[in-house]
Amino acid sequence: MTNEQSIDYPTKRLTDQMTRMTIPIGPQHPALKEPISFLLTVEGERIVESVLRLGYVHRGIERICQNRNYVQNVHVVERICGICSHIHTTTYCQGIEALTGLEVPLRALYLRTLLCELERIHSHLLWLGVLAEDIGFTTIFMYAWRDREIVLDIMEELSGGRVAHAVNVIGGVRIDVDQEQVHSILARLDELERQIETLLGVIQHERTFQVRTRGVGHLSAEQVRRYCVVGPTARASGVDVDLRRDAPYAAYDRLDFQVMTADEGDVWARTLVRVQETIESLHMCRQLLTGLPQGVLTVRAPRRVPPGEVVSRGEAPRGELVYYVRSDGSDRPARVKIRTPTLTTLITLPDQLRGVHTADVPAVLAGVDLCIACADR
Amino acid sequence: MTDPLSALFTLLIFPGFGFLFVCALAVQWIDRRVAARLQGRIGPPWFQPLADFIKLMAKEDMLPIGAHEWACATLPLVSLAAVLTAALYIPVGGRAASAFEGDLIVVLFLLSIPALAYFLAGWLSVSVFSIIGGNRSLLQYFAYEVPFLMALSGPAILSGSWSISRIAAQQSQTAWMVLVQPLGFLLALVGLIGKLKRSPFDIPKAKSEIGAGPLTEFSGRKLALWHLTLHMQMVVGIFLLVNLFLGGCGNWPSGLAVFIFGIKALLILLILSVASVLYARLRIDQLANLGWRVLAPLALAQILVIIWIGIR
Amino acid sequence: MFMEVILQALRETFPAETIEAQPVPISETFVALSPDCIHRAAQVLVERFDLRHLSTITGQDTGSEIELLYHFWDGGGLTLRTSLPREEPHIATLTDLIPGAAFYEREVSEMLGVTFDGHPDPRPLLLPNDWDKEQLPMKNDQ
Repeated sequence: MTNEQSIDYPTKRLTDQMTRMTIPIGPQHPALKEPISFLLTVEGERIVESVLRLGYVHRGIERICQNRNYVQNVHVVERICGICSHIHTTTYCQGIEALTGLEVPLRALYLRTLLCELERIHSHLLWLGVLAEDIGFTTIFMYAWRDREIVLDIMEELSGGRVAHAVNVIGGVRIDVDQEQVHSILARLDELERQIETLLGVIQHERTFQVRTRGVGHLSAEQVRRYCVVGPTARASGVDVDLRRDAPYAAYDRLDFQVMTADEGDVWARTLVRVQETIESLHMCRQLLTGLPQGVLTVRAPRRVPPGEVVSRGEAPRGELVYYVRSDGSDRPARVKIRTPTLTTLITLPDQLRGVHTADVPAVLAGVDLCIACADR
Repeated sequence: MTDPLSALFTLLIFPGFGFLFVCALAVQWIDRRVAARLQGRIGPPWFQPLADFIKLMAKEDMLPIGAHEWACATLPLVSLAAVLTAALYIPVGGRAASAFEGDLIVVLFLLSIPALAYFLAGWLSVSVFSIIGGNRSLLQYFAYEVPFLMALSGPAILSGSWSISRIAAQQSQTAWMVLVQPLGFLLALVGLIGKLKRSPFDIPKAKSEIGAGPLTEFSGRKLALWHLTLHMQMVVGIFLLVNLFLGGCGNWPSGLAVFIFGIKALLILLILSVASVLYARLRIDQLANLGWRVLAPLALAQILVIIWIGIR
Repeated sequence: MFMEVILQALRETFPAETIEAQPVPISETFVALSPDCIHRAAQVLVERFDLRHLSTITGQDTGSEIELLYHFWDGGGLTLRTSLPREEPHIATLTDLIPGAAFYEREVSEMLGVTFDGHPDPRPLLLPNDWDKEQLPMKNDQ
C-alpha cells in the first residue's frame, strides 16, 4: 500500500535557469526517528515548498479505547508514545478520577509529579542528542545520551521500566520510595546537574553549534498564536504558556519553579529553553523528594464510572496534552479523544521550511521535537 | 629500480599496496578509537576495519536503474589507482619508490582525481541524495583546494625544490618547515580535513541530511573499494604533510627512520581525530565562505611572507 | 478568563439561542450552540477577547447525532458544543479565523465524514490514501 502518488524521481524542471528537484524526506530517512513524509521542492539549495504526510504509525488508539474498560485503557494510552508515556497515563487517570470524584492521596500526587519531571528531563536530553546528531555534532549526542542513562536508571529503580513505567493507576500510584532510595536519587541528581550545566556551557559558547542553529526555523509569536502552538516551541518564541503554572495539576501547586522563555524563536532559542527547563525540572525533583509527605498511595476506584464528560490537561515535555473522555455509565468509555502537542508543531513546519537551506532541514525538524507516534496515535 | 623483483616488492609490499593497506586499516582504527574515547565511549577492537572491509567485499553489489553501470564500477578503481600512484612519490622513512624534480605537482594532481571521481560517482548513480552530495563535494573541492595547494607550495618555494624527497631531506639540514611557516602547516591541516571530507567538513556525506551523499547507492565490493580509497588517501595525505612540514624522517638510521616517521604521522593523525569531534558540521555555504574569505587570503599571505624571506 | 463576560457577549450575539454554561471537570465550561452559530461565536472569541488558542476539535457519534466540541483554552477551558445530523454532516470551517484548526478539522472529517466547508486542504490526515472513503472509523454503525 503506497502512501504517495507516483513521484517523478528525481523531478527536474528548468525554471528561471534554476533546477527544481523533489527530495523525499521520509518515511525512512536518517534524520527521522519515526516515519513521517515530507516532499520538499528544492531550488538550488533552498526549499521552495514542502508537503507533509502523516499517518504512518496511526494505530487507531481512540477507537481501541472504546473497546476496552477504563483500567485496560491506562495501559493502552501508555503505549501511545515511548518518551512521554507517563504524562499520557497521568492526564488520563486525572480525568477519570475527576469523573468519579476520587480524591487522590498527596503522596501519590507527589510521586506522579516526580515521574513527570524525570520524564521531562529524559525527553529533553534525548532530544538534545538527536538535534546534535542531526547537525553533525556527534560528541554532544554521545554526552547527552550518556547523561540520560542516569535518569533512566533512576526511573528503572522506581518503576521497573526505563521508558514504560506503568506507575499510574486510577486512584493513585503503585510504586513507593523509601528514605534510602531518596538519598541515592538525590545524589545522582546532583551529578546530573553538573553534567547538564557543562552541556549548557558548551551550547552557549560553541560557535559551530550556534552557526548551525541561529536564525534557522524561525517562528514569530504571531505565527505561534495563529497555529495554536504549545510547549517549548511556543515558549521559545516568547509566548509564555505552561500548564504546570497556569492550571496546576498533580502536585504542581505546591512546587516553586520558573517557566523558561526566550525571544528569538529559532532552533537556538528552543535549545536554550529546553536545556534550562531540564535544570528547572531537576530542582523540582529535589523539592518533591525532600518534601514527600507520608500517606497511602492509592484510593479504591469503582469499576463503573458515572456518566459524564471530562476535559483533562497536562504539560507533556512537548507541550499541552488534552484528553476528553465521555462516560455513559458502563465500564467502558464512550469516547476518548487525545490531542498531543506534536500535532500543533507539525502544522507550522511548511512555514518554517520555506526558504531554508537543504542542509538546515534536519535542524528544523529536530528543533520542533517531533514525536510522530504521539501525533498519529 | 632496474631489478624487477625489487620493483615488485616496492610496488606491492613496501611502501606500496600492502604497506598502505595495513596503514589504512591502522589509521581507521586509531581514528575511531581516539574519537570514541573523547566521546566517552570505548571504540572498536583492532580488527574492526579489516572486518568491515571483508564484510563489504562479500555483500551484494547493486545499483539503481538508470545508473551508469560501467562508470560506477570503474570510478573506485581509478581513484584507488590514482592514490596508489601518488603514494609512490612520497618517501616513507627516507626512501620513496621514485622521485624527480616536480613530483610534488604530480602528486597533488593525482590526489585531485579521487575528488572528481567522487563527484562523478554521485552524479552517475542517479539518486537525489547522491546528486546533491556530488554537487556539494564539488563546491567543497573548490573551497579547500586553493588554500591547500598554496599552503603546500610554501615548503617547495622555501627549499627551492619541487621534489618531495628533496624537501624532506633538506629539513634535516635547515629546520622543520612547521617552525618556519606554522600558518602554512595549519592551513595544510585544514585543507586536508576538507580533502578527506572529515568532520567538520563532512558535508558531502552528511548522514542526517542526504543519506550517504555520493556513495548512497554504492554497496558491496564497489563501496569497499571506495572506503579503501578514502582511507588510503588519508594515509597518503598524512605522509605528505609529515614530509613537507615535519621533516620526513630526519637523519636517523634506516630502521629507526621508519619508526620516527611513524611517530610524526601519528601526531598528525591525533590532531585530525581530535578536530573531528570538537565541532558541529558546517553548511556548504558556510564552508565556501570560510574557504574563500579566510583560508585563501591567509594562504596567500603566507606565500608572500615566504617569498620575502626567500629574497632576504 | 472572564467567563461571565464571554457568556454575556455570546448572549448578545445570539439573542435567539439559550446560552447556558455547563461546568465540566476539570475547570471547563461547556456551551451548546447550533451549527451555524459556531463560526460567528469563534469570531467573537477571537476578535473581542483575543481567545485564539483552540486546543482541539473533538468529534463523536452519540448514536443519534454527530457532536462536535471545540475546546478553547485561556487559563480556563471553554468548549463550544454543537450537534450535526448523521446524514451528510457539514459545518463552516474555522481555518480563516484560526489556521491552527486545519489538522483537527481534517481528522474529524476523515473519521466521521463531516465536511468542513471552505477548508483549504481537505486531504485525509491519518488514514492511508487508498482507504475507502465510506469507511468512517469513529462512526458507530461501522
